[in-house]
Parts: sequence; structure tokens; C-alpha cells
Amino acid sequence: MFELNIWFYTGCILTIIGSLSTVWGPGVKDPIVRTLNTEIPSIGISLILLTYNHMLALLTFVATSVIVSLILLRTITRLEEIGAEL
Amino acid sequence: MLVPEFVPEIFCSLYLPAIYTGFIVGFIGLIGIAINKSDIHVLILTDIVGLAMLIVVGAVGTDLAEALILPGLVVELAEIMAISEILISREIRKKGKTPSILPMPLVFDMEILSTAPNFLSLILIGYGIFLTGFTGGAVAGGGILLYILSRKARGLPILVIDGLGAISGIAWCLWIVGFLLFFVNPEFWLLSLFLAASGLLLKVASKMGLIGVLMREEFKRQ
Repeated sequence: MFELNIWFYTGCILTIIGSLSTVWGPGVKDPIVRTLNTEIPSIGISLILLTYNHMLALLTFVATSVIVSLILLRTITRLEEIGAEL
Repeated sequence: MLVPEFVPEIFCSLYLPAIYTGFIVGFIGLIGIAINKSDIHVLILTDIVGLAMLIVVGAVGTDLAEALILPGLVVELAEIMAISEILISREIRKKGKTPSILPMPLVFDMEILSTAPNFLSLILIGYGIFLTGFTGGAVAGGGILLYILSRKARGLPILVIDGLGAISGIAWCLWIVGFLLFFVNPEFWLLSLFLAASGLLLKVASKMGLIGVLMREEFKRQ
């Protein structure tokens, strides 16, 4: 019932659609929306790594993607506080 | 095709779709970088190109891929951190205003941080030492992080921070000795494996503890 290929191809499709939505999706003029859209390809990559049984890589990837989105959100809010053009 | 026999059959059949996905995602990300002019947007899209790199490396499907993904992730993280700091400092110089260090409200006012940390971090550190290696280091480091963040007192003596750095150095030595012994005397493989594993445990755990100390010194200043 649970084929291995399902997870892999779901991951591939999520990654491609997520990267498309990050580049051309609705409302990406706002950098916060763009940062949140990068979470979709992250889920796709997690599924691909899960298919390949890369446990350590998956753990590290989950941790670093959280840290990266925190850093980006902090950068955006600080830039807005200064009044820079985004 | 030149494929080692220990690569499973299914990973060989998944290789081409994964590579094509990686190339398509990388192409989309690079087009996005080319048509955007704003610096912060380019920085966010760099993340997408990094993800494409991860798929291309991960498609190899052996332990080699795992060993290559870890440094790639760490380098990408350091790069994004450095470039965002550079962007902020450039804008500060342009506008002449200094923003607050942490724009988000971060208050550690939780029940669990005042009652449970001793017990929880003891369990986490014990389990981490039992696991050894990278995973054990992460678990034990999480325990140390929880303990340090939940303490109210500030102002750790400089000797303790230096001591954590020294533990990190000794761990490197253990790791290198284990690695060398593995090549010079392969019959001691168990000894060298344990040397490397406990070195890595000390390394990762002490580094996460150090991060906790720095975070507390930085953010609990009131």
C-alpha cells in the first residue's frame, strides 16, 4: 500500500512547486511571504531525504532550515525598523 | 553504468528523476535571482539554490551523500548569517539609525523552565552519552542548552567558557587520533571507532553548551 516511490515523487513535486511559488507566487513582493514560501520546498527535500534513508542529514536539515528562516525573519524586521527599501 | 554493487537497486532507478528535479529547482532559483534587484530577495532565493544542491548531492544515495550534505548545510547557514549581517550594517551606515538587537519579543517565562530542567537535562545528557557520536552529541547538547537557558544567574566566570573551548580542542585530538589509528592499525578498529565517537560527542555537546552560554549572556541582559 505504501510504495517508496510515492514519498519520493511527492517530495520532487513539492520541491518544484514550492520553488516556483517562491519565485513567482502571489504576494512575493513582501519578503516575509517569500521567506515563508521557502518552507514548502524544505518539506519536499525532507521527504526526499527520508526516502533515501539519510537520517543524520534529515535531522541537521530540519534544524538548519528553522535557524535560517529565523535569521531571515530577524533580518527583514530589522531592515524594516531602519526604514530600508525592501 | 559504473555503480558500486552496494547501492540498492531502487536508488539507481530514482537517480535520474532526482537529478532532473535538482536541475529544474536550481534553474528556477537562478532565474529568480537574475530578475530580482533587491538584496534581501536575492538572499532568500539563494536558499532555494542551496536546496537544489542538496537534492543533487542526496541523489547519490549512499553514506557519501550523507557525509557531503552535512558540511553543505553548515556552510549555507554560515553564509546566510554573514550576508544578512552585512546587509544590515550597510543599511545602518546609509540611514544612520541603529535598530534593536532582537526585534521579536523573547521571554522565557514558562513553567517547565523553573521546575523540570534538572531532571530533564540529566536524562538528556545520560541518553546522549549512551548514544555517542553526532546524534548523542546533539541530544546531550540539547540537555546542556536547556539547563543553561533555564538558569537565572548571569555572569559566568571566563574560566568556564575557556574550559568549554579546551574540551572542544581535546575532542578534536581524540577524533584525529582515532582516525589515524584506523588507517595505521586497522585491527584496533573498535578502539578507534570509540575514540572518534566519544570525541564527536564531546565536540558537539560542548559546542551547543557554548551557544547556550552566549545566548544567555546576550539576550538576558535587562
